[in-house]
Amino acid sequence: MSSNEMTGIGGLAPTRSSNPAQLADVLERVLDKGIVIAGDIKIDLLDIELLTIRLRLLVASADKAKEMGINWWEGDPFLSRNGADRPELEGRLRRLEAAAGLDGDDE
Amino acid sequence: MIAAPGRTAWYVYGVVDAFASLPPGRLRLVEEGVLAAVVGAVPLSEFGEEALAERLNDRRWLEAHVREHEDVLQRLAAGSTVVPFRFGAIFRELDDVVAMLHDRCAELTAALARVRGRVEMGVKGWADREQVAASLGDAQPEAAGGRAYLERRLSEQQRAQQVIALLGDIAGDAHARLLRHADEGVANRPQPHELTGRDETMVLNGAYLVGDGAELAAEVAALQADYGSRGVSFETTGPWPPHNFVEPREGA
Repeated sequence: MSSNEMTGIGGLAPTRSSNPAQLADVLERVLDKGIVIAGDIKIDLLDIELLTIRLRLLVASADKAKEMGINWWEGDPFLSRNGADRPELEGRLRRLEAAAGLDGDDE
Repeated sequence: MIAAPGRTAWYVYGVVDAFASLPPGRLRLVEEGVLAAVVGAVPLSEFGEEALAERLNDRRWLEAHVREHEDVLQRLAAGSTVVPFRFGAIFRELDDVVAMLHDRCAELTAALARVRGRVEMGVKGWADREQVAASLGDAQPEAAGGRAYLERRLSEQQRAQQVIALLGDIAGDAHARLLRHADEGVANRPQPHELTGRDETMVLNGAYLVGDGAELAAEVAALQADYGSRGVSFETTGPWPPHNFVEPREGA
């Protein structure tokens, strides 16, 4: 990390970049975090195929990680605040996959 | 009643203080009491209910608009405290935005106070698993024969478990140490290889709410010094608008 990144705090230097890793970070924040507001136009972000795939990857990786024992962030209620909605997410993913004719095991 | 002109709706990016100043451009403030929503007009041809359902699965469209959402928040955060909204808060009329601000005033005011004067920094921990394994020392002397083969396999399995345990310990230690230099922090699920496109395994995907990020930066450097030679490196992203710290806390 360069010290420039830190000195940018006051002026909040834009982190804009075409780096794909950066895109994953932006998607994670803009689609998964922030205050959820139900506006007049109904929007179900879980209908985003991209997000659905991404969530499935996250769920899959969490399960894989658990199998492998790398699940230190779960179990601790403070750390796993994103884990509480997992059963619901998984259920929705299954319904979406069923609707899309996916068996859930394909890549 | 003020309707969006023509065939447009109002997209809400987030909330700022009522007296906040906007960066020049197409954004406008919708004020209600001490709060103001930052809105922009969007065409219903793209953001109407049916159109949106289709556009959301257009990868390029989604990426462009998710980035635009983030860019607006970044520009706002440069001059004001901002509470980021999740993608897709869309209203037909400004009166509806006012009603939303009124209904959720307490929650939004609390969120503004929580992040005032602070930014979000991301810290990721990356493991080179081979280097981590190598840091544990030599496993087993090479030997021939069936029994030696089985012993070697067993030793390999034990080694893999040791690597996993070590990575868990390092990531847990890193998060605990970073938390000491932040007002709040959260360890999100590490992103999988399919998303990161990197060979290293992400073992920490943390976000930290900080005022002055210098302390956190120093701790990241210390983590790098402590664990870099064992195959785990640390990387900072941001500053970000405080996406991870505006949803109400559990039990709060």
